[in-house]
Amino acid sequence: LVVLIMELNDANLQTLTQFLRKTLDPDPTVRRPAEKFLESVEGNQNYPLLLLTLLEKSQDNVIRVCAAVTFKNYIKRNWRIVEDEPNKISDPDRTAIKANIVNLMLSSPEQIQKQLSDAISIIGREDFPQKWPDLLTEMVTRFRSGDFHIINGVLRTAHSLFKRYRHEFKSNELWSEIKLVLDTFALPLTELFKATIELCQTHATDVNALKVLFSSLTLIAKLFYSLNFQDLPEFFEDHMETWMTNFHGLLTLDNKLLQTDVSYLLLYIYSLYTARFVTAIWNLLVSTGQEVKYDLLVSNAIQFLASVCERPHYKHLFEDQNTLTSICEKVIVPNMEFRSADEEAFEDNSEEYIRRDLEGSDIDTRRRAACDLVRGLCKFFEGPVTAIFSGYVNSMLAEYAKTPRENWKHKDAAIYLVTSLASKAQTQKHGITQANELVNLTEFFVNHILPDLKSPNVNEFPVLKADAIKYVMIFRSQLPKEQLLQAVPLLITHLQAESTVEHTYAAHALERLFTMRGPNNTTLITAAEMAPCTEQLLNNLFKALAFPGSAENEYIMKAIMRSFSLLQESIVPYIPTLIGQLTHKLLQVSKNPSKPHFNHYLFESLCLSVRITCKANPATVSSFEEALFPVFTEILQNDVQEFLPYVFQVMSLLLEIHSNSIPASYMALFPHLLQPVLWERTGNIPPLVRLLQAYLEKGGETIARSAADKIPGLLGVFQKLIASKANDHQGFYLLNSIIEHMPPESLIQYRKQIFILLFQRLQGSKTTKFIKSFLVFVNLYCVKYGAIALQEIFDSIQPKMFGMVLEKIVIPEVQKVSGPVEKKICAVGITKILTECPAMMDTEYTKLWTPLLQALIGFFELPEDDSIPDDEHFIDIEDTPGYQTAFSQLAFAGKKEHDPIGDAVGNPKILLAQSLHKLSTACPGRVPSMLSTSLNAEALQFLQGYLQAATVQLV
Amino acid sequence: ANMPTKNVTDERLSKFKNKGKDPAKLREKRITECVELRKAHKNENFLKRRNITLSSIPDEEALSPDYIPNELVTHLSIEDIIKDVNSDCRKSQTRGCQAARKLLSQERNPPLKEIIDAGLLSNFVSFLSMDDEPTLQFEAAWALTNIASGTSWHTQQVVEHGAVPAFISLLSSPMLHISEQAVWALGNIAGDGATYRDVLIECNVIPALLSRISPDTPVGYLRNLTWTLSNLCRNKNPFPPLSAVQQMLPSLVQLLHLSDKDILSDACWAISYLSDGDNDRIEIVVKTGIVPRLVELMSHQELGVMTPALRSIGNIVSGSDLQTETAIDAGVLNVLPKLMRHPKASIQKEAAWALSNIAAGPCKQIQQLITCGLLPPLVHLLRNGDFKTQREAVWAVTNLTSGATVEQVVQLVQSGALEAIINLLQVKDAKVILVILDAINNIFMAAEKLGEMEKLSLLIEELGGLDRIEMLQNHDNEMVYQAAHNIIEKYFSDVSLSCVDEQL
Repeated sequence: LVVLIMELNDANLQTLTQFLRKTLDPDPTVRRPAEKFLESVEGNQNYPLLLLTLLEKSQDNVIRVCAAVTFKNYIKRNWRIVEDEPNKISDPDRTAIKANIVNLMLSSPEQIQKQLSDAISIIGREDFPQKWPDLLTEMVTRFRSGDFHIINGVLRTAHSLFKRYRHEFKSNELWSEIKLVLDTFALPLTELFKATIELCQTHATDVNALKVLFSSLTLIAKLFYSLNFQDLPEFFEDHMETWMTNFHGLLTLDNKLLQTDVSYLLLYIYSLYTARFVTAIWNLLVSTGQEVKYDLLVSNAIQFLASVCERPHYKHLFEDQNTLTSICEKVIVPNMEFRSADEEAFEDNSEEYIRRDLEGSDIDTRRRAACDLVRGLCKFFEGPVTAIFSGYVNSMLAEYAKTPRENWKHKDAAIYLVTSLASKAQTQKHGITQANELVNLTEFFVNHILPDLKSPNVNEFPVLKADAIKYVMIFRSQLPKEQLLQAVPLLITHLQAESTVEHTYAAHALERLFTMRGPNNTTLITAAEMAPCTEQLLNNLFKALAFPGSAENEYIMKAIMRSFSLLQESIVPYIPTLIGQLTHKLLQVSKNPSKPHFNHYLFESLCLSVRITCKANPATVSSFEEALFPVFTEILQNDVQEFLPYVFQVMSLLLEIHSNSIPASYMALFPHLLQPVLWERTGNIPPLVRLLQAYLEKGGETIARSAADKIPGLLGVFQKLIASKANDHQGFYLLNSIIEHMPPESLIQYRKQIFILLFQRLQGSKTTKFIKSFLVFVNLYCVKYGAIALQEIFDSIQPKMFGMVLEKIVIPEVQKVSGPVEKKICAVGITKILTECPAMMDTEYTKLWTPLLQALIGFFELPEDDSIPDDEHFIDIEDTPGYQTAFSQLAFAGKKEHDPIGDAVGNPKILLAQSLHKLSTACPGRVPSMLSTSLNAEALQFLQGYLQAATVQLV
Repeated sequence: ANMPTKNVTDERLSKFKNKGKDPAKLREKRITECVELRKAHKNENFLKRRNITLSSIPDEEALSPDYIPNELVTHLSIEDIIKDVNSDCRKSQTRGCQAARKLLSQERNPPLKEIIDAGLLSNFVSFLSMDDEPTLQFEAAWALTNIASGTSWHTQQVVEHGAVPAFISLLSSPMLHISEQAVWALGNIAGDGATYRDVLIECNVIPALLSRISPDTPVGYLRNLTWTLSNLCRNKNPFPPLSAVQQMLPSLVQLLHLSDKDILSDACWAISYLSDGDNDRIEIVVKTGIVPRLVELMSHQELGVMTPALRSIGNIVSGSDLQTETAIDAGVLNVLPKLMRHPKASIQKEAAWALSNIAAGPCKQIQQLITCGLLPPLVHLLRNGDFKTQREAVWAVTNLTSGATVEQVVQLVQSGALEAIINLLQVKDAKVILVILDAINNIFMAAEKLGEMEKLSLLIEELGGLDRIEMLQNHDNEMVYQAAHNIIEKYFSDVSLSCVDEQL
């Protein structure tokens, strides 16, 4: 490697300045060449030093910052020395950088300081401590500078170096480093901490000074946390009093001046040293206001109490009745209140509100924290806590009853409190699964929830309505069925509420109720029970989609899907209208698909409409095709990528309903489906393969007759799929359908090429998955075309090839084949090879006859071999398509399992016995002699069992 | 560590059960060479001991008419001591030695360095060989013992003045108290570390020591001797030579059958050092047949005996399946529940560690563990143990889920272990979290075999595990994040999108 040296001179600084400036140019034709140039010279010695010089001395502030950013990125790309790769930064440059960077960082303005601080931490990650032993000492000496700009620079850099101590695994290497850091850093940090606290007292009234000091304290607290994370070090154990007393002082300081981030960080620290701070923390909670800016602080503080109170060691801290009462009264109840910020979100940002309230993304909220604290307390003190809150709930409800219009928020809090108190375990699927037995949920439902649901004006007190709906939804598994049935029509009415949250909740609650299981594993609520309100349900659901803001409401669409699925044939009369509405919706969303869940449920609903209607009357399939094809065509023409996999699935579903013929409308599409561009996208492959399989099943003849020129294209798809480790099984699905459904004569000219392609892949990269599919294909071919044809085609590729395939692949690998249909195909195929292939009896292949029979008996009797060779362990991971391209399978477009052999063979073992019998009568004496010479005893015993069962004998 | 040889089918089976993990690697060896951040805590047994009074051998007073208790020794200044010791007069030498011994025996800040700097060590060492001056011999031995009890540097001074051969010959002194003083001094030298330990072994200290063990040896003497032996067994990197171990083991086994608690304690410590190594080292201990006695001593009422007995057995069950078997056959599984509920946290931790290694065994041993009722105390520790104990208990769960049959995993879950480890997902230690996620993954694999994946996902969700695992997807530790992400992807992928809960 030749290292060029760039002189540290003005000319080079000038050049560099010019190019840096060009990298900021918005015009890519200027910017890109400049970036290229910088990349081309960055390997030169002195390049980083030139950048450092510029960022320090350039007259132009823009260039200084640009040099700093370029420098940091350069360090990020090049500093790490990768084994077996060239060292990308010369040693003199490395030394010079490390000698100067700390000083430079500390004397630079903040914008540049940040970049250099990042660079230091990147370098530190590689070189600290061994190759940069004086870094810390150099930094520590700056603590005495008294300049908080410099001190904060040091602290920030130290933080970026040390924060990994919080998440890395304990190791001797890591702990040695921490020990080393403690030796140089712990004492100066402690001194700095004390000094900073003192300064806070001297400047107690100077808000600006305090701001700076608090930012230092935040960083100091972060460092303290990092250094104490892995274990409590000796130094800090000895100086615990200093640290804790001062932290405690900070926490009890008038918190109007206190920056919230300091205190919530302190909470983490306390979680290390728990008990003595419990009181400090609830004092903090009691004195902190309701403002949004304190939310994070308060929720963290409450979470801290929540995590402490459920630990057996600290149980005693909460035991006292007065303590419990005061936590309930002063910490929990106030933080459960519905605040004006919540009200705003309810009205104006319903999506966010729903996400927090329904989907549990409320981790940082006060309500959630308070709710978690209730649950934590209930672990040890369920009785007393329930009793205390019952009092509160009653008084809040009484307040509400007096003047609902003013005090509706009290009822909201009461419901929230009951919910928190009652729910002990919860799942998305079932709602609350275990409830606090001390809370009478049914009584509360009847007295306080039902009245709200029944109130004639659905638009009055929308928050309370939403609360009531949510109550039904989450306690659905706890409430008796008759009450749920009573609630259903009321929920349907609330679908018409103007409030987005309210009608969304109603849809969601209905959807959840419809998935509940009753006895016998049927749905709890039946289609018959829904009969009186079926029409209104369907009407209101679609009407709700018309509300502004709910046009693509996934909860409503899911409820539509679920309703179809529950109501089954009761929806048939409404289908003409419904399908119109659904296709209209589809047309709209296909212009700009933005809600993946909504779209998914929309397609599911379409599938359900098709299935339910055509189950009763398959002829109606054409009316669906009429309604859907125009939209599908538009989607295909506009290449709406998100929707293509869905469209292919719905088309498959429709085509599969046809009885053995293929309409011209489908045939017209056929050439388009073979376009390579469609097959480039991983998500298209499974549904497209399925669609082509449906084409072949229904129209194999038609294709051969009227689209024979498309067969090469079809085989081209197969060839492309087979070449990929991830998709080869899909290629085999396609190939198997071709073999099964295409007239044999239409394939004659292609057969040999197909086998050659398979061999090429077998030689190139052989995986277990490929072998399994290959075995199924070979045997299907044998079943379809006969054993002789199979033997001949192998041997036509290369003499003795058939024997090699049997010996090297079929016999050793057949045990790996999985799946009942696949197994049956292999069993029947091998039986044919054994009994219908003269070459097996008369040529040198004869020596394989008994081993093959033995393998077949093993295949029948031994457990499947599901081992995977070590070197294949990671193949699936590498080849798995990423999340975005993942195939979105529609549950309601489900495909039935196809068995190409079907009832022709009931029991393959009997078939084997019968076939052997036939063979033995054709050449008497040979079969028994082959068996007795080399079949192992155990296999022979099994075989005799088959013969007996089939009541045949070998002669 | 050596891998146990296995036949091919076993190999394949274990690949399935443990997803390609080597079960031998699940067993965790005791890691002693560890960097510590915490304050060093006093060990239960001492590396070196200073001789302050001879109270440990009260009978000796009668035997040694020259013995003068510290308080009766005249106090001399260092200068006077130097003068006395360097004089030609035996009487002055004895007086000087006695005064030095008194100074070195004082409770606070004995002037070790001053005595060394005064150049007195060569005198003391030369006094050791004066068989005709037993008092002087004794006083010099005492003084040297206390110097050797200091730091490594102090011990080094004693050794470098040639004390080792002199002390070894003193072992055979007809005067019991002198011999005992030599035992003590040698114990201090051996306790300094592997280097001096091996120097002593090279000088044949072992046969000389062992020859003093007889039915008539007074118990006090035996205590010191056992302690010195234990120091000769101590320290790794390197371990004591195998030949030395073989020499000492029969006597240690013999000592372990006595009833004196101090002797038992040090003999157990000796065994715990010897078994703290690879499986070959463990095998040598197991072969002596001492395992049943060690298991018996795990129930000893003295903490000082129980602790090292537990350690020894803990080491043994970190060995091969067969070695573990000997401990199980000796009844270790009947003793562990009691120890897991012992009031002392360190005992709980040690017991949980032993259990975690038994849980790493084949499913037959796991079954024994379950049958003997170890799951309830395990869950108790997961819930109530201190953090270090919980960590070991978590390992026990994960190891168990790696090797257990499906039915055994079901029993584990039913015992409440799943709930307990889910609660522990809140801890800060990234490694523990990772180990828990591993256990959850293993439990899912068992559920998959039973076709109860969905039931398990719901149970985990009910127990609050889903929330916690989801949060761990934000963890800064790459491996934790990845493991959490994989579980969510594999077992909890978007429930709202799946419509499969509906009959088709």
